[in-house]
Amino acid sequence: MINIVFYFQVHQPFRIRNFSVLDIGKGLDPFDDKLNKEVMRKVAEKCYLPTNKLLLELIEKFEGKFKIAYSITGTAIEQFKMYAPEVLYSFRDLAKTNCVEFLSETYYHSLAFLYDKEEFLEQVRMHRKTIQEEFGFSPITFRNTELIYQDTLSDIIWEEEGFKVIITEGVDRILDWRSPLYAYMNPNKTMHMLLKYYSLSDDIAFRFSNKGWVEYPLTVDKFVKWVDDLNMVEKGKKNLFLNLFMDYETFGEHQWEETGIFEFVKHLPQKALKTKRIEFSWPSDVLQKANYKPESISFPEPVSWADMERDLSAWKENDLQNNALEAFYEILPKVKASGSVELLEKARKLSTSDHYYYMSTKYFQDGDVHKYFSPYSSPENAYRNFMNALTDLEESL
Amino acid sequence: MRVLMFTWEFPPLISGGLGTACYGIVKGLLKKGIEVDLVLPSKEEIYFPLRKESDADELPVKFISISKQEEYFKEVFHSVSEKYSYLGLDTIPESYFNKAEITTYFEELTRSYTYSTKVPFKKIIENLEGTEDIFEKVKEFTMRAEKYARILDFDIIHAHDWLTYSAGIIARSISGKKLVTHIHATEFDRAGGGGDIRIHNIEYSGMTEADSVIAVSRYTAEMVISRYLIDTGKVSIVHNAHNINVRGYINRKKIFKDPVVLFLGRITLQKGPDYFLEASKRILKEFPKVRFIMAGAGDMERKIVHRSAKYRLKNRFLFTGFLNGEHVAEMFTNSDIYVLSSVSEPFGIAPLEAMSYGLATIISKQSGVAEVIQNAVKVDFWDVDLLTSSILDLLRDTEKRNKLGESGRKEVETIKWDKACDEINSVYIKTIG
Repeated sequence: MINIVFYFQVHQPFRIRNFSVLDIGKGLDPFDDKLNKEVMRKVAEKCYLPTNKLLLELIEKFEGKFKIAYSITGTAIEQFKMYAPEVLYSFRDLAKTNCVEFLSETYYHSLAFLYDKEEFLEQVRMHRKTIQEEFGFSPITFRNTELIYQDTLSDIIWEEEGFKVIITEGVDRILDWRSPLYAYMNPNKTMHMLLKYYSLSDDIAFRFSNKGWVEYPLTVDKFVKWVDDLNMVEKGKKNLFLNLFMDYETFGEHQWEETGIFEFVKHLPQKALKTKRIEFSWPSDVLQKANYKPESISFPEPVSWADMERDLSAWKENDLQNNALEAFYEILPKVKASGSVELLEKARKLSTSDHYYYMSTKYFQDGDVHKYFSPYSSPENAYRNFMNALTDLEESL
Repeated sequence: MRVLMFTWEFPPLISGGLGTACYGIVKGLLKKGIEVDLVLPSKEEIYFPLRKESDADELPVKFISISKQEEYFKEVFHSVSEKYSYLGLDTIPESYFNKAEITTYFEELTRSYTYSTKVPFKKIIENLEGTEDIFEKVKEFTMRAEKYARILDFDIIHAHDWLTYSAGIIARSISGKKLVTHIHATEFDRAGGGGDIRIHNIEYSGMTEADSVIAVSRYTAEMVISRYLIDTGKVSIVHNAHNINVRGYINRKKIFKDPVVLFLGRITLQKGPDYFLEASKRILKEFPKVRFIMAGAGDMERKIVHRSAKYRLKNRFLFTGFLNGEHVAEMFTNSDIYVLSSVSEPFGIAPLEAMSYGLATIISKQSGVAEVIQNAVKVDFWDVDLLTSSILDLLRDTEKRNKLGESGRKEVETIKWDKACDEINSVYIKTIG
């Protein structure tokens, strides 16, 4: 039996406005309200609202057999409330079906785990509280920003009460000869782990509308056959987990409606369930469905789901990124010491990983992806705006 | 007396010190009753008949074409920027001509002239070979010079920097009037060494064909004489001056709690931004409570941004990007120490501006401004040790810093365009003979 584990990432950063040195100290909002609203409205119309509607219909239709998981960041929820409250209501409707698992992460989608463990845990608690308040759900599965993971993360998260599962990227250099289809555990055997099956995830998220791809067009029949064929990996009776993790914006935003992506999603559950060899599961279902003792897997160095390298290089590779990150985590304790709630909130919005992603200077394909997602004309401009906004914060202490 | 003046920059068309200097010169000349017909690289074929001091700001316009002039009079402009946009002064002039056209044009033009006058034309064609945007624009500007020379009535021609030398030479040949070329910078300054041979050639023509050459400093005059081998008797030195901005000084305010050390200028090799950065790095190790601000844009900007990050100067080293005039003033009012780190600066007006705002100023010895200013710290651009200790000294000793700023402010008030324009006028009189 193979379990399709769908997890969708829902995130929007508070993008920084064009912030000049001369804007410092003038009490300006460093975040680009107009742009953030524009993006949120666009993505709500193209993705969040139609996809939520479709998934709600599917969940109701299959009466518990179709299950999905979301990780929704705190900054996304705040922006739903500011610019598109109907999106938040539709997520609440999904929550009420009891067929949706909500995952835990840092409230600000930050890189705090890499710099400041205390801040990291504070953001995790903030997020957990928000998910409980908004959706009445207490997460037991953890996913760190952009699936960034290494062994120490399991140990830190295990210290927090209630976490039992962690998900991350199925990185080839870690898996080596092993398959990402099995459940694993961290070396200390405290947490269950699920690993993203990146080729089939990317077939949907990135290649779906690529006419140059040999498998184009990706039909439901073809996809279901690929999934069903994976059952052959297991000769015994061990349950497999096909972890399809992707940005939620895949549906309608990265892959436009015209590509047929919604039709694909609409017909997938029925075709898959009809095989009787495919089921849909939550990440946390691994605790019951792993009908074997999972092997340990060790991630001595950090990995992520980004770019070809699947390491941290999308956010902390070049000097701009490292200088910005180091400056931020040097100033953050001063903000906390000031006791100002308002300034701490502003600071934490600057901790969102996207700001550092925009500073990436990687070339070739990945650089293109960075450029696609960046509201700035160059990495240097992104850096300049960030550093000036950060200085504005520091000067107001 | 009336001057036909060619320049590439003039407010609002401004990208560096050249525009600021030309504005000061033109205003000073008008004040003395010397009239100026000003020609800029505008999109439309126009000139500015400047007759009184206020004209330098109002820029009355005349079209070469009478019908266009009539059209222009019918236009109603709601703002100054609307007027400039109509004249094509807000954007870079487009290039309409190709090499073949320019060659034919000059052949036509030179047919009626004797061999000796043809020689400079031939040189101009050769010198202007190139397809880069700037060469296309210079070509177009040069080709228009003939019309101005024929139509306008003037006593002398004054051309500023290499971009307009060819136009000046054309106008001289056609009108028979004397030509003064004004050297604000040479390719040696801009390129910090070799440079573009075509520009060197244009500069050489401009200096040899001119009847008089004005250099903005002794530093520049020496370069003109030693590197371009120009007859010393032809060369005069007229130092630049500065337009005092008292308001800026009074409105002194502070964005930053810590003292601010400012670099303001184009971020190019000539301006030595890397020396400023190296000094900043050393200073922050000893004196962390300071902000360094690099204001401006240029082809070395990206490199300096990355290197400042590599040095992990955190948010102690900030960048403004390009600043317009109003923002330049605001930047000065928010700074404490100004540094001119230029590798080669023919003059350098920015330090005078900085001083007028009461900033303590450190200037490179490789600059013309160092010849005229007493109340500033002077260092060799390459002496990062001395630059570092000089800035540190002013950061640590607030009293000394304030005193230097105040004495500099007083000194700069005495450096006026009136005096510079008296000297320019003498050059005109001597040249006309």
